[in-house]
Amino acid sequence: MKLRSTVFTRLRVIGLTLFAIPWVGIPIWMVIVNSFKTAGEAADLDLSLPKDWSVVENYMTVIVQGNYFQALGNSLLVSIPTILAVSLIGASAAWAFGRSRSKGLQFAFYVIALSMLLPPTLIPTIFLLRQMALDGTTLGYILVLIGTRMGVVVFLATGFVRSMPVDLEDAAAIDGASRFQVFVRIILPLLAPVLFVGSVILIITVWGDFFFAQFLIPGAGRETLPLSLYSFANSSAQSLRWNLVFAHVVMSGLPLVLAFLFAQKRVVGGLTEGALKG
Amino acid sequence: MKTRAASASIISETESSANLLLGKTGRPGLPLGRRLSRTGLWFALPAILFVGVFFVIPQVLNLRFAFSNWTTYSSEIKFNGLDNFASLIDQGYLFQSIGVTITYALIAMVAQNVISLILAYSLKDSTRVNGFFRSLFFLPVLLSPLAAGYIWRGLLAPDGPLNDFISLFIPGFDWAWLGETSTALASVALVDAWKWIGLTTLVYIAGINSVSKELLEAAIIDGANAWQTFWRVTFPMLAPAFTFNVVVTLVGAFSAYDVISATTGGGPGNTTRSLNIILRTQWGQGNFGTGSALGLTVTILVVVVAIPLVWYLRRREAKI
Repeated sequence: MKLRSTVFTRLRVIGLTLFAIPWVGIPIWMVIVNSFKTAGEAADLDLSLPKDWSVVENYMTVIVQGNYFQALGNSLLVSIPTILAVSLIGASAAWAFGRSRSKGLQFAFYVIALSMLLPPTLIPTIFLLRQMALDGTTLGYILVLIGTRMGVVVFLATGFVRSMPVDLEDAAAIDGASRFQVFVRIILPLLAPVLFVGSVILIITVWGDFFFAQFLIPGAGRETLPLSLYSFANSSAQSLRWNLVFAHVVMSGLPLVLAFLFAQKRVVGGLTEGALKG
Repeated sequence: MKTRAASASIISETESSANLLLGKTGRPGLPLGRRLSRTGLWFALPAILFVGVFFVIPQVLNLRFAFSNWTTYSSEIKFNGLDNFASLIDQGYLFQSIGVTITYALIAMVAQNVISLILAYSLKDSTRVNGFFRSLFFLPVLLSPLAAGYIWRGLLAPDGPLNDFISLFIPGFDWAWLGETSTALASVALVDAWKWIGLTTLVYIAGINSVSKELLEAAIIDGANAWQTFWRVTFPMLAPAFTFNVVVTLVGAFSAYDVISATTGGGPGNTTRSLNIILRTQWGQGNFGTGSALGLTVTILVVVVAIPLVWYLRRREAKI
């Protein structure tokens, strides 16, 4: 029995490795190794090491011509306020939805939950921003992201609030804490794990958003990383210059990958434990 | 048979304890719970305003714009009935792109869920090796869909690594996966699946680990083998995770745009031209009315497919 299970474990690890090599290993290797090559060599798209190394040139081109740091700054400028706002606003709404029995609030909860399922509509959104004189601005884009990505966080957090006993809140209220203090001191800390999972899902979708960004923030100055990658890749008239495209893929993927490497235990743990509550 | 009965009783037990936890019994009378319902509105208000203004109002406006003559040249937005849909049909856009969108979504959804289920089952135990593989398969999730598109455009190029590998067995193999009408659509849909599989896998792992150990032990004691325990015990208990993943992947893929932009741009011919890809060109030409009609078509697809699907899968959950 013992022997059989160790044999099984070995076979399983071998199988997973054989799957992971073409699935993740080769794509990563191809991107990195070709981002080090000259344009001519990278055009062959093979997996060999570069004959002529062109690391500094390629990555400097991404940084200078691709306006990398500006795009990185823009991506941070969009993602951080969006995530903070959605977490705070979403948590306070989840508390109300989780504890109240008012029919009106229940209806609002269903509408917000439905916003997870229905795709947001693009052209009317631009029309609306135009009425508010916010079209083409980063602020307008952030407001739209907050309004359209709220659903997941509200949904997850409301489920969580409903599973929490009310005793703590009652005790605090009896001790004379105001509603606002209860929210900040008790509810927010208790919701932290679920807000973390929500933020992980948010950062992945917001950081990678291309469709909405392309319409809502056109123009060079406001480009986020995906927009910068797209315009950079399409800047040469002929075929793609693979060495530069892949260098940009590495640079624009790096921030999230690094953040993930630091927090991978919490991210993977959070998603496998808390993802489906509620 | 026995396992069925056992699982039924365990479900009803967990349900009643969940009800206790949810406070479905004995909530009235708790001071704060009561008072919050009066002031609760204030805490919910910011979220209601944001979703109301930036999600609900555009949905309502879309119902108007989709049936309007709004273009760059029109001085006012006027109702024009079904003209936008008629013109999209006349140009051969509408049904063709609905077909492309649905096919894309089905391929992406099936591939994503089948592969994720297999991965989740092999990575279900929380060991160090499994932690490594879980993180490894999660890496593509972190990339933007656009970046995923460029990566696979390289891997699938006629002289790219995939064909180099196939050439070891079939010399000179140089099939243009993204350039041939027969394989382009399936290829882009699979790239979409590749990008998200790491996340779906984690949701399935959460589902698998929520299956109670007693239940699995009971099944093994009753003489069920690994295959039987999976299909008879684990898989039915996975129902909530299954519902969630199937719906999310299908609905997400109805909005197919990013991966296509990075790989085929809608071609070859019109084989990968999804609804959102045409929306982009209609917008570019200043046809805002027809663009809105295409957006509304995506919404209708989701409503027509996803809501009955949620209802059906939920009912299936309840039966199990």
